[in-house]
Amino acid sequence: MKIIDRLFERKARSLAQHSSRRSMLRGLGGFLVGASALPLLPVAREASAQTGPTTPQEEGDQTSCDYWRYCAIDGFLCSCCGGTANSCPPGTEMSPITWIGTCRNPVDGRNYVISYNDCCGKSGCGSCLCQRDEGDRPIYRSDKTNDVNWCLGTTSSTYHCSSAIVVGLAFDNK
Amino acid sequence: MRVLLAILIVLGPLAGLAADINPQRAKFHYQMHCEGCHTPDGTGAMSVPRMKDQVGLFLETQSGRDYLVRVPGSAISALNDEQLAEVLNWILVEMGGDSVAADFEPYTANEVGDLRVEPLNEVERYRSQLLLEIAEQRSRQAN
Repeated sequence: MKIIDRLFERKARSLAQHSSRRSMLRGLGGFLVGASALPLLPVAREASAQTGPTTPQEEGDQTSCDYWRYCAIDGFLCSCCGGTANSCPPGTEMSPITWIGTCRNPVDGRNYVISYNDCCGKSGCGSCLCQRDEGDRPIYRSDKTNDVNWCLGTTSSTYHCSSAIVVGLAFDNK
Repeated sequence: MRVLLAILIVLGPLAGLAADINPQRAKFHYQMHCEGCHTPDGTGAMSVPRMKDQVGLFLETQSGRDYLVRVPGSAISALNDEQLAEVLNWILVEMGGDSVAADFEPYTANEVGDLRVEPLNEVERYRSQLLLEIAEQRSRQAN
């Protein structure tokens, strides 16, 4: 133990003799300035970049085709089929593969990215058929057309209804 | 001053890389042009390949690096060269995990523009072959 005591004593004395409080401040200051650069790192920037509201203020009737999120939809509204705009009716499975568009929210005037995940596994719901198709492109732009059955990646490819989930804020170039 | 200099030397390259990516814009373009099939976190589904924690493997060979641009989802997308380069770099940073080296060379608009004029027609077999080549290269390097 004495050896350790002596070692620490020597090191502490050496540190006290060869450094000053000013150098400590200099080191600490350098560290803090350096640390302030950390938010420039990609991951931190990404996290802080989500400035828009994740769940926007909204109004309207989710069972109406006029509801703002349905601006690019083509199908039966899950809200009329035992589900909601965000969730599938019981007994159906949400497709992970989907088509995506943007809609303007009239409450805050901002454009949001909407994911129209189909709900699959039961025959067509038959209620509240809604076809607004904003941003819909011909079938040769397969990633931007809603005229295909998006029940891909699900156990069953039978289409039942469509959801309309807000997944983010559209980027504004201005 | 020496400490500050050291920190800047260490963090400088990372900050420079991040400066080329506007995360909000890149994420938006990913959502509009990629996410529908590749899923929000790059996990993929069914025949859509997983990018999460794996996409960086392709940077280990030149043909693999080229592949990420020549794959039809990239090459014939509606994104211009700058946007496509940014999205690819964003995918690598955000989703690549440990598969991407910390000092990877980001794609540039010029590189992307040159490569995308030759989109791949057949992808699945080509991709399997690339992964085989990458595995062989790793094996050679390990021995």
